[in-house]
Parts: sequence; C-alpha cells; structure tokens
Amino acid sequence: MRQKHSGARASYVLLAIFVALWVLLPSAVRRFNREAFAEFQAPALHLIGKSRDLATFWEKQSRSSSEMSAAGRDLARINAALELKLGAMEDIRRENVRLREITRYGAPPEYLSIVARVATRDSAAWWQRIVLRKGRNDGIRPGAPVVFGDTVVGRVTAVHLTTSEVDLVTSPGFRCTAYLEGDDANRIVLINGVAAQSLGTARARVSVIPYDFNLPAGQPARVFTTGMGGVFPSRLTLGVLDGGTFATQVGAFRESFLLPSRNLYNLQEVSVLVPIQQTPGEALIQADLFQ
Amino acid sequence: MAWSWILLLLATYPWLLGADLISDTLASSTVVIFVTGTCLIAPCRRLPRWQCVLFAAGAGFLFEARRPIPDGLLALSLVAATITLSSGGPLLRSTLRRFLAATTINLGACLVWYLGAAYASPAPAENLLIQMFPQLLLAALVGAASLIPIALTQNAVMDRLGIAPPPEMT
Repeated sequence: MRQKHSGARASYVLLAIFVALWVLLPSAVRRFNREAFAEFQAPALHLIGKSRDLATFWEKQSRSSSEMSAAGRDLARINAALELKLGAMEDIRRENVRLREITRYGAPPEYLSIVARVATRDSAAWWQRIVLRKGRNDGIRPGAPVVFGDTVVGRVTAVHLTTSEVDLVTSPGFRCTAYLEGDDANRIVLINGVAAQSLGTARARVSVIPYDFNLPAGQPARVFTTGMGGVFPSRLTLGVLDGGTFATQVGAFRESFLLPSRNLYNLQEVSVLVPIQQTPGEALIQADLFQ
Repeated sequence: MAWSWILLLLATYPWLLGADLISDTLASSTVVIFVTGTCLIAPCRRLPRWQCVLFAAGAGFLFEARRPIPDGLLALSLVAATITLSSGGPLLRSTLRRFLAATTINLGACLVWYLGAAYASPAPAENLLIQMFPQLLLAALVGAASLIPIALTQNAVMDRLGIAPPPEMT
C-alpha cells in the first residue's frame, strides 16, 4: 500500500511537470493534438449523418405514389413561378452592375455556395454549434457565413479535413451588425451571442438600439444583416426581436433579445457561402488561429 | 498488454458518441450529456496506473476536440483524478463507493470544462452559479445512472484482453 502511495506521489509530480511543459509548448503542438482527436471522430460523425439520411430515405420510400406525385406537381408549379422571378432578378442584376460602373462603386464580395448536410448539433451554455459533413477538402474556410435560404445560421469557426464546426447566431462567440425593420434611418445595431442558462433557450442580444426606435405595430421587428464588415451579404434575416426593448444602465441606448428565425437545431442542410476572394475578416481569423 | 488502454478507449467510444447523440437530440435545451468522468471508474480498478492515465487523457481530449474549451484542461484534470482513484486506497472497493466516485468525478469534470469554457468565451458570465447548476446536477445524475452499463462494457472488454480482476475480487 505504501509503495502505491509513493507511486501516486511520483505520478502527481510527473503530472505537474507535464502540465508545465504543456503550457510552455508551442501552440502548434496543442493545435495538432486537438486536430488529431477531431479527425479521429470525423468518421463516426459522418456515419451518424448518413444513418439519418438513410432513415429519411426509407421514410420517404414508405410514402404512397399518389402522395409523391402530388408533391412533384406542387414543386413543378413552384419551379415555374421561380423561373419567372429568376428572369426579373437577372434584369435587376444587370441594372445594378451598370449603375455600379457608372458611379464607380466597389463590387460586393462574391460567394461560392457549398451545400452541406448537418452531422450533429452540440449546445451548452457557452457554445451552440453544428457540425457539417464538409470541410477543407470541399473548399470550406474558417470565417465563412452559413445560411439557410435567406436566413443566417452562423459562421464557420473551425474547419477539419471532412467536417467543419459552425457557431450559431446565438453562440457567445458570434457577433455582427444589423438593421432593424421599421427603422427608416437604417441605424446600425449590434448582435452578440450571450451565454445561455442551462436548460434554457439560447438567444442573442441586440444592443445599441436607438431610443427613438419604435417597434412595428402588430408584428415582431425583423433583424437584417448590414453587409458591412465583409462577412455576411446584406439583407439576410437574422431573426426577430423577442418581445420589446428595455433600457440599459448606460442610458443612451436600449437593448433587446434576438430570436433566431428558424429553429436552428432542426436544420438538415445549410449553405456555406465561401468568399471567392479572401475577406479581411477571414484573414483576421486565420491570424488568430496561427497565434 | 501495453495497448489495452487504447482498445478500451475504442470500446468506450460508442458510449461517448451515444452521449453526444442524446446531447444532439436535446440541443435546443442547451445541455450536454456528459459521461466521460464515469468512464474512468472501471479502468481505474483493473488497469495499471500508466494505462489509466493514458485512457483518461484520451477520453478528455476526445471531449475537448470539438468544443471551445482551453486545450488540455479537461484531459489533465481527468488524469489527476485517475491518479487519485488508482492510488490503491479503499476509494473504489464497494459498489456504493464506486457510485459515489462516478458522481463526484463526473460532476467535478463537468465543473472543470464549464468554468474553462466560461473563461475562454468572449461573453461575460452573468449569474454563473444559477447558469451552471442545472448542467452540474444533470452531470451528477447521468454519472451515477450510466456507471453500471459503461462499467459492464468495459469489464467485458478487459476480461477479453486478459486483464486481472480487481484485488478485492481475487
């Protein structure tokens, strides 16, 4: 017994030496270690995602042919309507390009849209994340915005070979600028994810709301991206203001909470908008990772 | 066998993945089903200490790899807990003590990663105690509830690997 206790003491000493070494080691070693363990888990995450897809496939296979043909007919109608809209959008795009050329206004960043399936979701008080089944091999880069339709889902924070992690809009690490619906002056407000209470609902904070801003009557105010900062394209929906606004201790502005417009934890598929040319925000994230 | 710890880690991984899957299902309620601390109990009774240490570090790093927790914080805390558990005292002798150890280690490890994540997060902590209480309570309950199934799996694997049973059973 005494031998075991002295062995334990030696183990504690060794652990203390290792902790000191671990702290002093270059961050590249720690990053490599983290990356190795993340890659180890990647096949299992892919397997989970594919099992879900298979379950969905069999669920759809079990539908009757009349039900499927009705769904096909509805989709054909929607497609026809969308084709008309596409033509109109193309006209608007050409007009926009022409006006930008006349006024010599800089072109907005162009994005490559990569569709990715969601492997798992992970949510705690200090992080709300989803893991996508596409990664560096598919061209995803850290800092790229993630959307579903015209709704912002979040932002890519870590990219591995075949998977990537996305911080959701409500995650404490998420920040962006936004406009409020009903504010004709288009004044900028700030969106920050906040630490959620365990067993509570995750929300983001909307701050710097001007005192004279009035909520639209009868409906929650929608919150849009500004397109500033070069990360998110403009006029994407972030969500709606949750309830009213409240005064802060500072006094000059009001605050509110943002309720994401889609249920972020039920998404099956999202689009990652990878900027064709590297944005300044991306360069900053990569510099952070390097340090 | 020198590789027993890694085989045991691979055998335990489905439990860790299962916990992640339950967390996935409960994602909208912002809680994590955490069982990594409980996974240390059975190996600490039978494996040599150096193998227990490697097992604990591996399990800790697996949890940290996809979460914004300072590098090595959980893994090294689990290693410290493993050294204590495997020091040959009467800590894991009876079933009651094993339940107590599973609850304590799981709760303690949960507290470590929670505070680590709070420290690493750019958002300020508001009412930290109230925020983390449900998560800690859940970790303690899950730690106790998952001990028997996880230990059964791990003991079956250790029997197959020919690792000697714990001293009190011989």
